[in-house]
Amino acid sequence: MEEQKNEEKVTEAQKRQTEPEELRIGVYVCHCGKNIAGSVDCEEVSKYASTLPHVVLSKHNLYSCSDPGQESMKKDIIENKLNRVVVASCTPRLHEPTFRRMCEEAGLNKYLFEMANIREHCSWVHLYEPEKATEKAKDLVEMAVAKVALLKPQKEAVVPVTRKALVIGGGVAGIQAALDLGDTGYQVYLVEKSPSIGGRMAQIDKTFPTMDCSICILAPKMSDAGRHPKIELLANSEVLEVSGYIGNFKVKVKKKPRYIKKECTACGDCVEVCPVEVPNEFEEGLTYRKAIYIPFAQAVPALYLIDEKSCLGIGDNTCAKCKEVCGPDAIDFTAKEEIVEIDVGTIIVATGVDVFDPAALTEYGYMKYPNVITSMEFERIINAGGPTGGHLTRPSDMKLPKNVAFIQCIGSRSLSDKKGHTYCSNVCCMNTIKDCLLIKEHWPDIKLYVFYMDIRAFGKGFEDLYKRAKQAGVVFIRGLPGEVTENKGNHNLILVGEDLTSNKFYKMETEMLVLSVGIEPRADSSVIQRLLTLSKTSDGFFMEAHPKLRPVDTPTGGVFLAGCAEGPKDIKDSVTQASAAAGRAGILMAKGSVTVEAITSMVDIDKCVGCGLCTKVCPYNAITVDKETKKAVVVEAACAGCGTCGAECPFGAIQMRHFTDEQINKQIDAATRENADKKIVAFCCNWCSYAGADFAGVSRMQHPPNARIIRTMCSGRVATKFVERAFRNGAAAVLVAGCHLNDCHYINANYQTKKRVEKLWSKLDKLGIDKNRLQLAWISAAEGEKFASKIKEMEKIVEGVTKVEIEKTVVALAPKKVKKED
Amino acid sequence: MKDKPEILAFLCNWCSYAGADLAGTSRISYPANVRSVRVMCSGRVEPSFILNAFMNGIDGVLVSGCHPNDCHYISGNLKAEKNVKNTKKILQLLGLGPERLRLEWVSASEGQIFANVITDFTAKLKKMGPNPLEKKHDLKETSVNRESISEVIENTNIRLCLECGKCSSSCPITRMNPAFSPRMTVKRILNGAEVSVYDPGIWACLTCGLCQERCPSDVHYVDFVRACREKARLMGATEPCAHKDMLLDLQRIMANPKINQKRLGWLPKEAAVSETGDILYFVGCLPYFDVIFNDIKANSIETAKSVVKIMNKVGIEPVLLRNERCCGHDLYFTGDTENFEKLARMNVDAIKQAKVKEVVTSCAECYRTMKLDYPKIVGDLGFEVIHVSEFLANIIEKEQLEFPEVFKDKKVVYHDPCRLGRHMGVYDAPRSVIKNIPETDLLEMERNRENSLCCGVNSWLNCGKVSKQIQLDRLTEAKATGAEWLITACPKCQIHLKCAMNGELPVKRSKIDVKLYDLPVLVEKALDRKRSRSK
Repeated sequence: MEEQKNEEKVTEAQKRQTEPEELRIGVYVCHCGKNIAGSVDCEEVSKYASTLPHVVLSKHNLYSCSDPGQESMKKDIIENKLNRVVVASCTPRLHEPTFRRMCEEAGLNKYLFEMANIREHCSWVHLYEPEKATEKAKDLVEMAVAKVALLKPQKEAVVPVTRKALVIGGGVAGIQAALDLGDTGYQVYLVEKSPSIGGRMAQIDKTFPTMDCSICILAPKMSDAGRHPKIELLANSEVLEVSGYIGNFKVKVKKKPRYIKKECTACGDCVEVCPVEVPNEFEEGLTYRKAIYIPFAQAVPALYLIDEKSCLGIGDNTCAKCKEVCGPDAIDFTAKEEIVEIDVGTIIVATGVDVFDPAALTEYGYMKYPNVITSMEFERIINAGGPTGGHLTRPSDMKLPKNVAFIQCIGSRSLSDKKGHTYCSNVCCMNTIKDCLLIKEHWPDIKLYVFYMDIRAFGKGFEDLYKRAKQAGVVFIRGLPGEVTENKGNHNLILVGEDLTSNKFYKMETEMLVLSVGIEPRADSSVIQRLLTLSKTSDGFFMEAHPKLRPVDTPTGGVFLAGCAEGPKDIKDSVTQASAAAGRAGILMAKGSVTVEAITSMVDIDKCVGCGLCTKVCPYNAITVDKETKKAVVVEAACAGCGTCGAECPFGAIQMRHFTDEQINKQIDAATRENADKKIVAFCCNWCSYAGADFAGVSRMQHPPNARIIRTMCSGRVATKFVERAFRNGAAAVLVAGCHLNDCHYINANYQTKKRVEKLWSKLDKLGIDKNRLQLAWISAAEGEKFASKIKEMEKIVEGVTKVEIEKTVVALAPKKVKKED
Repeated sequence: MKDKPEILAFLCNWCSYAGADLAGTSRISYPANVRSVRVMCSGRVEPSFILNAFMNGIDGVLVSGCHPNDCHYISGNLKAEKNVKNTKKILQLLGLGPERLRLEWVSASEGQIFANVITDFTAKLKKMGPNPLEKKHDLKETSVNRESISEVIENTNIRLCLECGKCSSSCPITRMNPAFSPRMTVKRILNGAEVSVYDPGIWACLTCGLCQERCPSDVHYVDFVRACREKARLMGATEPCAHKDMLLDLQRIMANPKINQKRLGWLPKEAAVSETGDILYFVGCLPYFDVIFNDIKANSIETAKSVVKIMNKVGIEPVLLRNERCCGHDLYFTGDTENFEKLARMNVDAIKQAKVKEVVTSCAECYRTMKLDYPKIVGDLGFEVIHVSEFLANIIEKEQLEFPEVFKDKKVVYHDPCRLGRHMGVYDAPRSVIKNIPETDLLEMERNRENSLCCGVNSWLNCGKVSKQIQLDRLTEAKATGAEWLITACPKCQIHLKCAMNGELPVKRSKIDVKLYDLPVLVEKALDRKRSRSK
């Protein structure tokens, strides 16, 4: 009975919200114990709020977010038929979801709720100016009330998610992710550029710290992936095009021709007769393969193929030696590439790494002296399946060396551009230790020297392996050689360096030198970057959504990262990350649908002229101009809600839900209603600068109480007209703050902000207005200090602005035509 | 107020000083404006003493010794004669006038002659007028403090040193003397240890840049050392210069605006130069080097003559500055920034006045200094600076030079100067020039391009055992390639390597006897048709 009554009340409440009716706003000013009440007079603010238009209820409570607090507010909403709620308390970044849920439970659409941040942005940073803090809190509540009055109920779009996944890259990470998803029951497309899956792990001999044979532990996984009922393996294929959005990607894959039909029995007769020899990529160029070949013995798929670049039979060429000896007649020179279109819901990027080419470090003689090799080449030499059958031979004379030296950090930890990358490549220290143990295992008499800057043995079992290497007699010398020269007689290498622990110089002759090269992002990773609108961090690897809390998500919904594509790591971490990515992708696909937060943009087709300006600035390519209607169309699921389109549109034809022009304008008006000449109107982006201001609050960094912050999702939302409105209303100064360039949560929307502000500066200059009154700042979520300093800096500007100047500004910015403006 | 003209007289103990004594005993009067310095032999008087005197405002210098064949030390006075002859040439070039330096033979019995010499010299100097240079007053003395070093530390990435040891194991000085180490110098300074302003870590460095080329932490070691030298100088240090500061004092003299040089005397009669044009040839200190280093047959001026000849051949009449001053590279790299800035401004003003588009220089150090360091002082130069190797490569590419078959399968090897190579990144232009000369076989040393070994001396500092070792090492390396000729592109490299070959050697001459040619001289030789006919 009670439940039915509540249900009725809820339906009534919902009716109240959608039909135009009397606004009934409830305002709650939270004490938050002493956190707010300590410097803000909550009762006074609450009294003030009750005088604001449409406010029918104004209370102040001790702890709004607590259970009793929430229950009491819910009761109020139902009993007082409230259809809009404002809670003045902490930062929305903390409790907006909490209070939104509370509203929903009381039958109120959760988008009819707004918060006023009077803690992080007010009470905590103006501890010693209680009167001014209270005044500011009143303003902030007034701004929130002004916005909430204009908020409309929103429905969150529910978009279906295709229960299929695409994994790009068939290394161990890609394979693991595909297996996990396939085992869960989803259809997986595993696309691999090279003819076989396996990646770098297939090339390595043993893995650390267990000294397992790499291909032995990988091959079963490869084979599983190859014949998994749910995994469609598209090897020798590349992703050409990706369109769509989370849950609904349309992908075009190019299947490159193998020129071999399924009749192939893998007898290998063709290989014998092929006249072409080219460097074998799998063997790191240490030996040859023919133009017709199988990548390596354990290849999956176990298919031969013809390398069209070097084959003399394809196209105009006429060699057909292989065809002549092929029993099953499986060779087809006329094979063509095939384009396949697939629909998937999630994408996992596992494109892996390349190995650094040490030829750039001319002091080490790579490619000049035959006995200088890279660690990857060493892997193939020591591998029983490699070109030397696993015998450690030195290239110049194919003899077993008596001593081998390793130089670490080749191409890593290098701040000088020409010498490599700035980051540490994670795996090389352990790889060298493993290599040393391998050598000692077979040839205990070979003397081994490792020249290093630091030994990084951070993982599980790593320190033990390091100890074993030392016990086996490997000599570790701190200090990299300055240069390597060659003894022309026997092709030995002479290393000259400084032993830093003894401050003595050494000159050592060694028979073989292994350069422990670092790993770098794949050369063609920018192709994938563009296809999926991913960002890269400064080291060139793909950027994760949050370095700590969302390490396998990308900012693009539905796209995940696994393995070294995200950063240098070893096999264990790659596999871990792959399973994590599969899990994350699995969440989406298990739910089968994804709700899109209703802060997306919507087009007013009456106002839209189809100019396409919005399409140019959208970082997600979520807007297109329909060719027939000539109107802009927004794909809601792809829209991330930055609002840059809205700011760019000269006709006001595209609006952000929940952050409309009208709503922002009213906030500006509320902020500048009184004493505008003493105030800074600050537009802060949700992800960085608003969070930075919060951080200043959490850290209690005091600053002058003159700023009135208006939150937008992205600084790209801040249109020129907002700034002009603030000045026209008499504001002393305006701050536009966003994420650092290249760190924008919406990829690159803040570049538009920059352009806009720069244009505004020129305009202000031309109008004779001091352009210093408009400040642009890039403040990250961690830069509380920077925010506080900025406000302090701008206080000086505020103090220096005269009433005359403000009057002049108001006149100069007055609208020329009487345009219908909100 | 000192009595003008001021005369400084170097008198040899056995003859001239005694002669002066006799003038005294005999009560013979002579003008009172002479100050005597007793030396055991006139041969002791080095050109650097004389130049130092003039730099500090002395109007006339007298060097007096025993009559030839009477020298108490057999032939010391003949050395004095040679020194004075050379120094006169320098004074001539400087425009100070060779007559300000006088050589006299006065024996112990020639008291009257001594007095006559002084009287005559005084009269002549009065007619000449005073020395335009004045005594320099002391350098600013600041207190020793680490803050002044801290700015240097921040700007040169010193803090990022990973202590990998690549720098110290690459350094040519460390190779010969392990006590010197770029890494340890950095460590000492970063750890706040008391670093003496005379610390060899600061002054022994060749600033060749090999360490910074290999450093993974992008430490700008060359800038760091230079800045430390500047600070050390402000704290009162003076540089440990070879040739007793003669070369550096010469540059300081040229930094005085009152100097009006007469330095174009080397131009052959048939050379065509102009007052105006698009291209200016910056000669540098070649006329001075020619005099100072003629005992090692450096023949530095041949480079200048060759450049002008080649330019004329392709129809260019280069502008030559009458009062061109030293580019100041050595002062910059020994921390004397005050005088360096003066030189920079004067040179740039003079070049701007000539309204040229391009400045060609045949010295790698002038090239670096004008292209890289001058803009730090004067801002945008307003003209391009190119090295003669780039100029030659350019005209060869445009096929403006025709080479007859002069050399038959000549094996040559090229030495990359530090300033042209590592500092400025020019490796290919000189090589392309050499390769385009018919029948040269360009060989390469192991340590070439960015791995090239320095010629062993930086800014005339410290030239000693270590420098010699480095030079012999380099010459051995060059000879070992099988080349007959070693080509350089910097007159300093020429001088330092030639100097190493001079005199007694600790190695067999056959191991190092390559013939040294400067690049423009090589090109000019290759254009000489007469040679091909004689072969």
